[in-house]
This record gives sequence, structure tokens and C-alpha cells, in this order.
Amino acid sequence: MKTAKSYLVATDVGGTCTDTVVFTVGEPVILGKALSTPPDFATGVLDSIKSAADQMGITVSELLANTSLFVHGSTVVDNAILTRDGAKVGLLTTEGFEDTLLVTRGGYGRWAGLTEERMKNMVKTDRAKPLVERNLIHGVPERTDYKGSIIRELDESSARESIKKLIDDGVDAIAISYLWSFYNQKNEIRTQEIIKEINPQIYTSISSNIAPTPGEYERTSTTVINAYAGEIARQYIENLAELMKNNGYLGPVMIMQGYGGLLLASEASDRAIGMLECGPAAGVIGSKALGDLLNQKDVIATDMGGTTFKVSVIQGGQIEYAREPMIDRFHYTQPKIEVVSIGAGGGSIVWIEEETKIPRVGPRSAGSRPGPVCYGMGGEEPTLTDVFMLIGYMDPNIFLGGSMNLDKEAARKVFDAKIAKPLGLSVEEAAYGIFRIATAQITDLIREITVERGLDPRDFVMHAFGGSCGMVSATFGAELGVKKIVIPYTAAVNCAFGLISADIVHEYSVVKTLQMPSPLSEFPPLFEPMREKALKTLAAEGFTGDQVVLDWSVDLRYSRQVHEVTTPLKAPLPLTSDGLEILSRDFESLYERKYGKGSAFREAGIEMTQFRLTARGLLNHPDMSAAKTVGEDSSAALTGRRKIFVEAKSAMIESDIYDFTLLNPGNVIKGPAVIHTPITTIVLQDNQKSVMDQYRNIIIELG
Amino acid sequence: MDPITFSIIRHRLYRVVEEAVITLKHVSGSAITNEGHDLMVSLYEADGTLLLGGVGFLHHLTSAAEACKSIIRRFEGDVHEGDLFLLNDPFTAALHTSDIYLVSPIHYKGELIAWSACFVHVYDIGAMNPGGFAPDAQDVFSEGFSSPGLKIVDRGNLRQDVWDTILNMVRGPEMVALDLRSMIACNNVAKDRMVALVEKYGLPTFQETCKSLVAQSESRLRERLRELPDGSWQSRQYFDVKGEVYKVLLKMTKVDDELTFDFTGSSPQSKYSVNCTKWASLGGLFAPLFPLLCYDITWNEGVIRPIKVIAPEGSIVNCTKPSPVSVATVGAIQSVNNAACTTIAKMLASHDKYADQTSAVWHANHFAVFMFGKNQKGGDSIGILTETFAGAGGARTFADGVDIGGEIPNPISRMANVETVEAMFPVRYLFRRRLKDSGGGGEFRGGTGGELALIPHDAPDGGLNYVLSGKGSKFPQSEGLDGGNPGAINDYVWVHSEDSKDGHDCFSQSLSAIPGEKESISWGVFPLMGNDALYVRWNGGGGVGDSLDRIPGAVLTDVTNSLISPEAAREIYGVVITDNQVDEVKTEELRNSLRSERINKKVEQK
Repeated sequence: MKTAKSYLVATDVGGTCTDTVVFTVGEPVILGKALSTPPDFATGVLDSIKSAADQMGITVSELLANTSLFVHGSTVVDNAILTRDGAKVGLLTTEGFEDTLLVTRGGYGRWAGLTEERMKNMVKTDRAKPLVERNLIHGVPERTDYKGSIIRELDESSARESIKKLIDDGVDAIAISYLWSFYNQKNEIRTQEIIKEINPQIYTSISSNIAPTPGEYERTSTTVINAYAGEIARQYIENLAELMKNNGYLGPVMIMQGYGGLLLASEASDRAIGMLECGPAAGVIGSKALGDLLNQKDVIATDMGGTTFKVSVIQGGQIEYAREPMIDRFHYTQPKIEVVSIGAGGGSIVWIEEETKIPRVGPRSAGSRPGPVCYGMGGEEPTLTDVFMLIGYMDPNIFLGGSMNLDKEAARKVFDAKIAKPLGLSVEEAAYGIFRIATAQITDLIREITVERGLDPRDFVMHAFGGSCGMVSATFGAELGVKKIVIPYTAAVNCAFGLISADIVHEYSVVKTLQMPSPLSEFPPLFEPMREKALKTLAAEGFTGDQVVLDWSVDLRYSRQVHEVTTPLKAPLPLTSDGLEILSRDFESLYERKYGKGSAFREAGIEMTQFRLTARGLLNHPDMSAAKTVGEDSSAALTGRRKIFVEAKSAMIESDIYDFTLLNPGNVIKGPAVIHTPITTIVLQDNQKSVMDQYRNIIIELG
Repeated sequence: MDPITFSIIRHRLYRVVEEAVITLKHVSGSAITNEGHDLMVSLYEADGTLLLGGVGFLHHLTSAAEACKSIIRRFEGDVHEGDLFLLNDPFTAALHTSDIYLVSPIHYKGELIAWSACFVHVYDIGAMNPGGFAPDAQDVFSEGFSSPGLKIVDRGNLRQDVWDTILNMVRGPEMVALDLRSMIACNNVAKDRMVALVEKYGLPTFQETCKSLVAQSESRLRERLRELPDGSWQSRQYFDVKGEVYKVLLKMTKVDDELTFDFTGSSPQSKYSVNCTKWASLGGLFAPLFPLLCYDITWNEGVIRPIKVIAPEGSIVNCTKPSPVSVATVGAIQSVNNAACTTIAKMLASHDKYADQTSAVWHANHFAVFMFGKNQKGGDSIGILTETFAGAGGARTFADGVDIGGEIPNPISRMANVETVEAMFPVRYLFRRRLKDSGGGGEFRGGTGGELALIPHDAPDGGLNYVLSGKGSKFPQSEGLDGGNPGAINDYVWVHSEDSKDGHDCFSQSLSAIPGEKESISWGVFPLMGNDALYVRWNGGGGVGDSLDRIPGAVLTDVTNSLISPEAAREIYGVVITDNQVDEVKTEELRNSLRSERINKKVEQK
């Protein structure tokens, strides 16, 4: 066994795999991978850590005993919602508005989250079955107005009666969401107290704590989701902490949040909603960390796995947040890193639309079972992976480091019968075509979150994560005209890598509408209580002085418009009139960048609507150690030649094949070529040149 | 044509429209555009042929095509790269004056290759009432500014004189300017993306794809029509304005692969502004046809070709100038929607393969309430109650209608949060909820409509006024199918009280509990001042099938969920509920007796 070290261990539980990254200064990053094991995720977590420990030649307890920080992300909350496995929830609302959650602002909940094709077939659209039944929703006499004044006191006896009825009806959790409570939470708090008086076992969530933002439908939906999955999250986190302790880990357990920061387990367990989509969020954090390391401020982060292609944007070192996030088909308002996806992954099924004879890719996926035809596990529908095989990008003999052989002939037969023949094309021609359709869809998706927001892909570097991304990124990256493409060393365990790059982050906000400019005395009462709370919380977690960073921001909008833009407050506190001016100016330039030139509406004046504090406790992220670069000669890694599809030539061309594990930093490879890593494959198109950098990332230079 | 390139270009065209819609919403920032999705963007070939209609307010797809064609005719020889045209005359192509079309030619290397068009319902158009709907207008001349074609951008340069003139005629000119600006930005985006597309694939490939796209939609619709049986299907729609009753009569005939919609027998044009011009009726007919019959077919000119329409001149579905039409979009056009929905549904239901694509009428009657006056911040506000974009879904042959689920002609609309409205207008909601017993009874129940009540709150002028174009509170319009009942009707009540007691104390939970005298209203301008309240309830969707065939357990669930009353369970569904349980025996007895009552019921012959 090695000497005591201060390891950083991160484990990300995804839908299919549980990934682990182990990190310490001066040693290579260790990557571990195991299958996820729902509903009891613990086995998968231990297996994954073990797979890393095995590579280090030590046991799990030896690794954990020498670990100073354990960081975790999980799909447990997403799973509870997707499989409808949560609590029986009761809901208390303001009397008169009992149906708010169920009618989803009209058609919004009926069409939101559907593809345009499905939206068009209205007769077949419905809302998702709600997480609360109507008979478990009670209106309570109380009312606050738009200023936050309580204009009708809470009718306590009526509230008490409703609570008793809900408990009689067998609810495990109660959500409370009153109108305008984000301005005045008194009635919600009092109602929560009454529940505790009646039965302290009932899990409660109140909207003014869980989602203190305007818009009662979204706020209520968020609170209900939190109540629905609250107990599951709490138990999961407690069990995880227990599991770590039993395996010799003595440090703190940190849980990833969808907004891209970590919370201590004790705090995270009260906010199930925070864990939603924390895996993809960690992926973006990982991309940002890599960008920071490589001095790349503008990054398009892409991730292509088995079922989906995901993309997000980092601009000027800033991560983008989602405007109207949804889980399954439910809206929520928790800040969440924007990750957009389409159903295009390696397992996506290739098919021909019967009526139009047009070939299509996805969104259905063959998943890992039965998987693509070439896996030989019973898959009978051709997938993108089969196409990659047919166009020479995959080597039938060395898939997953040689642990699995692929059946190319089966793939060819099925693809010919189901796709090529009906199209009247040869297998090769049809396969080229499908490859082009898939890359065009991906290109369109990336355009959607860049060009449509006024961002020019030519100003960006692209990061290509995930098992399938390396085969297509050279093609869509070139079409978008990005400067360069980075296929990171950690490409296959991106989310886990993101976890070790994150900090402790607490988010605070206050809603208040102020005109620009407003008297300076308005601001300290908004900012100071947040600062006090943040500093106190972080101090309790052991962060003081330089380890604490407070980032302030304000949501602004043009009066009479609906689009708010969260604008970083660059001026120091307390605010001066110069500071306000800077804020105004920054808002205007951000607005035009986001919504396009000419969209500003200065005539109507500017309003501030929400004041935010992001408080970070900085964790020590050990520096990635850079290896020495050797010469450009990559011939030692050249393992052979075979024909691969070269897009620009529309033909199969004899190309060089390389083994990633034999490459050294500084080695240069010219396309067309294929580089096989133990987990994935990287394709270089004609005239492209790549170099392995000091961190073993493959960089394809385009610009 | 290479199917791969075709597939990619088709996908790109969808994206062009989507990007343009996003731009429109971003720049406009108004509630009616952003919440109601009261907008549309579409693309046209060089000759004005509809190439791709987006998912917006579908009434406009054919009208905007006519707007393009009309601009092409009117400005022949004077269409240049960078031009932008405005059109809002209902007798030329538009639906009513406040839905302004901006139409933009798209050039590639100097050649006209396509058009884009979009609309929003502008903040104001200078009609006699704020917001564009003018219930008491006597003719189109009282309904604000209207143009059969106006160049507002000339070769890339905004015509300031024209711009200033338009803004000089409207209330809230800065808001109207913003609406116009959003449409300019939207067309610019569409133009840029189209040019990039042509650049990449070459003009011949692009044009060939456009031709195939239209031809494909046409052949697919014709194929579908040939599958369906020949026959005629009818629908009759009634609505009333100030006690006068109007009728829209539709007979749809299918022969081989063509469909004819014949409105002969509909009422003569009205003196009220509910009339449709022929363009409005055409749009009203196609709005349900796209999603019901062409749910999996690209929406373009190909879908229009197999369809013929007969609308007698001088009727309420093809009125003559200068009839007033400002309320058309929530007026006769909806009866056209409803009738088309019913006839198409009856045809689809006659074929096994399409029976599950069938729906009873959704949201048959909008309830346009435009509030205007001083808001709590001291500024002026005009705005529609966006609940009208949250109608009731019609029942399907396999499921109930979606409660407060939207409407067919505008597939992706939504309503604003109560908190959003209370922040923008000096009003307070007493309640907003689903309306019990409003969904049409049937084996599958129509979706419920809703009800709301508003009172003034913190209003500097003591309250607001509102324009109400609430035709049709007499007859149910959400037709049922296959023996299903229609949904309940709209109702508007002005509660007024001389009592000087502060309205702040009112927290009533039903219309009957709101103190004051209750007066039914439907048409005109009314106050919401002092202790006034406004109560609105809106229609439910039509039911499908016989209500006596509804599964008793589903009726029990509806009662438990307050969607139907125990009385309705008994009288309409024949279900007896005792101690929250269905009494199977008594239910069977009651249903049998209701059935024999029906058989023995005498039908009066007139």
C-alpha cells in the first residue's frame, strides 16, 4: 500500500453507468466505471470506486481512508419523478386557486417538453399525470397582495382542519404554496408550524423557501416536486454518508446541485429539487474547469452518449442557466445550468418514415439492451453505432478495450434490408447519408443555442465528451466553424470529472421591483441580510477569509417587457449611483447580446426585479499536473490502416489507425485517421490535424 | 431528389421558422405574444406559394399567403432586396386590422427566391376602443388604421415618414413600435437563415426541395382523403350578439381526393363587428384542418390544393366592405373553426384507422376582455385577459378532453400567472379555477372550462374599464360528437354595488357570494370601478359518445375532483353515488330508466 495521501474522490451515478474520478497532486487521474444498480445505488457506487482502487492496487477502504473529500452526484431524484416512485403528497394553496397546479397555465403543461412533431398532433397530447391528486389539494383562507401585504390573515382553524383531513387521507408529505408568499412568507411559515404541531413526522415543503420567485404555477410545481421526492433524497443522502463512513471515509460528503455547486450532505438533504439534473450540470462544470485550465473562455460543451446528444454553452467563462427548466413534463424554477439535448446518441435507431420514405435518426434508442445490431445481443433495429461500424469508424475487434467483439456482418445485413434497399441506395451510400443526417441535426441543435442567442460558433472552442462524440465532432465542429475541438482525456467520465472541479455554492435571492435608478438607501436592506446569512452558513462549514467569494447579481428588464436578464453586479457594495449606472449599461449590452440587436426598449425605462447572491466556499482543487511534451512523431502509436468514410470525399478512404494509449504529449496526427482509446474512438476528417496536449487531451485545430 | 439532402433541408426550414419565432418573442416581450403565442411566422416561395407554416395562430397561414400574393401583385416591378411591406386590410388579406402582417422578400444574388411573413396582435391600432377590438364599430372605418400594402422599409432603409405616420395613429405608440420592431427583426432572421441555406445547398437544390415539399404534402393529403369514405358531413353553429342570433352552416363534401366546404345558408353579414371577410373564413377553416387532418404532414400549399371553399358574398362568413370586422378573430371565425372541426372529426371517425385522431370541439368561444386604464404605477396599461388562450379541450374517442387545455387553432398557447396579472394591472383575483359541470357530458367527457372573478385593487383611478366582445352566451358552441353533449356556455357578470364598503374586504369564493347587484353583460365597454367585480366563466369542450355509457368509476372520480356535481352524475350520467361509492345496482336501474325516458320522449315537430 502507498503512503497516506489526500485523495479527492468523485462519484457520479448516471442512468447507465456510475463513474468515479480519483485525483491527487502528482499522480495521473484515475478513472473508474461500473454499471449503476437502481434502486439501491450503493452497490454501483462501491463497484465504481473499487474499479478505480483496483487500478491503484489498493482496497476501497484504503482509498477512502486516505480521501480528504468525497463528492457525489446522482440521478436519484430524477428517477423518483420519472418512475413515479415518490411520496403521497398533499398541497395547501390560497383558497380560490386550488386548481393552479393542475391546469398548468392552460395548454402550457400539455405541450411543453414535446417535439414540434408531437405538438402538431394535438388530439394525441395530454398533460402528464400530476404528482398530487385533486382531492389532496386544499384551499386555505388567507391572502397576500402584490406588494406583500397580508390582506387576509391565515384562518388557522381552517388550515388545521385541512391538514388533519390530508393526514387522514394518508399523505406522507405536504407542500404549501400561497399567492405572493415570496414577498411575505409569514402565512406559509405559520402553516408549516401547525403541521409540525399536529404531526412532526410529515415531510413539509414551503414555496417561499424552495422557490421564492414570482409565478405561482411554477413555484407551486417546484414545491410539489420537492415534497414528492424529499424523503427519498433525504434517505439516499443519509444512507450514502453511512456507506462512506462504514468503508472508512471520515471527511465530509458533498452533494452536487443542478445549478452547478456543491452542498454539504446535511444541507442538501432538505432540498431534493436541487439534485435534479445535477449530473449534466457537473459535466458543464467539468468543461468549464477544463476550459479554465486550457485558457478557453468561450466553450461549446457537447456530450454524446447512448441515447442523447447534450450541449451547453460557456461564454466569457460564464455558464448559461435554463429559463424554463422541466423534469419529465413538470416545470420547476430552481436555477439550473442550461443543457439542451436531442435524442441522437450511439443507440439511436435509424428508421424510414413510412409515409414519406424519408430516413430518420432517433429519438427512440436501443439503449444498452438489446443495443445496436452489431452488439449481437438481440438488437434488430439499425442504430447510429451500426452506421459508425459500417463506415469504418469502429474496429469490430477492439471495442471497449477488446472486452467485446462486434458483429459487423449482422449490422450490414440489417442495415441493408431496413434502410439501404428501401432507399434504393448501396449500403455505403445509405450509411454516409445517415451519418450526414445525424451530424446535421446536431449542428442545428448547436446553432439553436448559439446563433439564436447571438453567439457565433466561430468564436468558440468545442469540447467533445461522451462515448460517441469523438466520431462525429470533427464533422459538425468543422461545419459550425469552431476554432478547435478538444476531446478530453476524461471524455468518458465527464460528469465525475466535473464533480471534482466544483465548489460549495449557496444561492440566495430577494424579489423586489425597483425602478432604475432608485434611491441608494433601497439597496442595503436587500443585500445585507443575504450577506449576513451567507457568511454565517459558510463559516459554519469552515470557510472564511479568502476561501469565501460573494458574487452579486441583479435581474433587470425593460419596463412592460417580460424578459429578465440576470446581470452580474460588478460595482462594489454599498452601491453608488456610478455603480447603478454600470449595472444598467451591463444589462443593456447583455440584453442585446441575448435577444439580438435592436431588441432593447429603452423608451420604457428599466426595472430591477430580483437581487441575487451566489456565495462560494472555495475547495482546494489540486492542479492537474502537466506531462512533458515529446516530439511530433506519432508513428509509435500507428497500429495499422483501414478504409474509413471521409466526408469531404464521400468515399471510403484508406486511413491510419492509432492506439491512444501509445500516444505521447506532443504527438501530431494528420487526418483522415482514427484514434482508438480504451473506451471510445476519435475520428479525424480529411485535412484535419490533431495534437495530444500535456494533459493527454486530443486537440483538433480547425481555425 | 436525393432523400438525404431533402431531409436535411426540410429540417433546416423548420429551424428557420423556429428561430424567427424566438426572435419575435424576444424582441416583442409583450404578454399577448409571449404568453398567448398570438403570433405566426411562415415561409413562402417566390410566387407566394405557402412553403412552410409554423406552429403559431393557424388562422393566419392562408391569409398571410394571400398577403404575400397581394403584395406581389400590387408592387410588381417595385420589389427590391431589403424591402419590407406592411398589410393589415381585412378586405385584402388580413383577419382584422390589429393583426398586422409584415412581409419580406428574400433575395439571393439579386434574384427573388422566397418570402417570409409574420404577424403579432399589436398593442393598439387606433380603433375606437383600446386594444383593437371595437364591439360597437359601425364599419371598418371605425376600426383603426388599415393598409392594403405599404412599403415601410425601402432597400434596407426604414421609411421614417411612414413609420411616424403609423405611430401617430395609435395609443401607446412606443409599445406598437416595439411590436413592429419585433416583426422586422423576425423577418431579418428568417431572411438571413434562408440565404445561408441556399448558399450551402445551391439554388437549384433548394428550389427543387421546395417543390417536392409542397408536392409531397399534396400527395399525402390526397392519399389520406382517398382512404376515407366519400360523403357529406354537416355542422350548424349558432351565436348571439345583443340578442340577435347568427348561424354558420357548413356542409363538407368529400369526393375521391378532394374536399369542398360549403357555407351556403349561413346568416347574412352582421351590423356588429363579428363578421369574417373571406380571408378570415378561409383561415378559420384551415386552422383546425392542419392539426386534425394533417397532423403528420408538412403544413404548406400542398394541403390547400385539394380543398375548395364556397362562402356566399354578403354573408357573415364573407362580408362586404365596409362591414365592421374587428372582433372577427373571436367572432364568426370561431364558428367556422368549430364547424370545420366537427365535420372533419365526423369524417375521420368513419374510418377505423383514423377514429383515434378524432376530437369534439375545443374552446368554441373566446372571451376577449381588454382591460385599459391607469395601473398601480401610474402608467397606462392595455391588455387582454390571457385566460382566453386557455380554453377547454374537446373529448377524444379514447380519452376525456384536457381541462383548460388550450385550443386547436393555436396549438401552443398558454395563460399568464395570476401574480403576473396582479403585478401589471390594479386588480385582484378572488378565484381562478376549473368550472364544475362545464365539460360536455359523454362516454368521454369534454374538458372543463374555467371561472374567475376580479375586483379593483390599488387602482389610482379607483379601477379600470374593459372592452368586452363576449358574443355567444346563449347557445353552447362546443359541439359534441357521436352523441356527446356540448360544453357549457360562456357567461359574463358585472357585479355592482353602491355600498361604499372597501372592496379590499371581499374574498368571496363564488359569484353568488360576491355582494352587489349582478348584471349579465356581453358586449361593449364596462367599468371595473370601486366595489365592482367582474365574473367570467368560460366554456367547456364537447363530449364524445353517450354519457350513459361512461364508466361509473370515472364519474365518481370527476365528482371527487369537483369536476362534476353529484346532480350531474345522476341526471346526465345516470350514476348513483352513496358514501363516496358507486351504487352499481341503483346506477343500472337509473340508467335503464333514463334510456326508456329518452325512447318515450316526444319530439316536437315544427
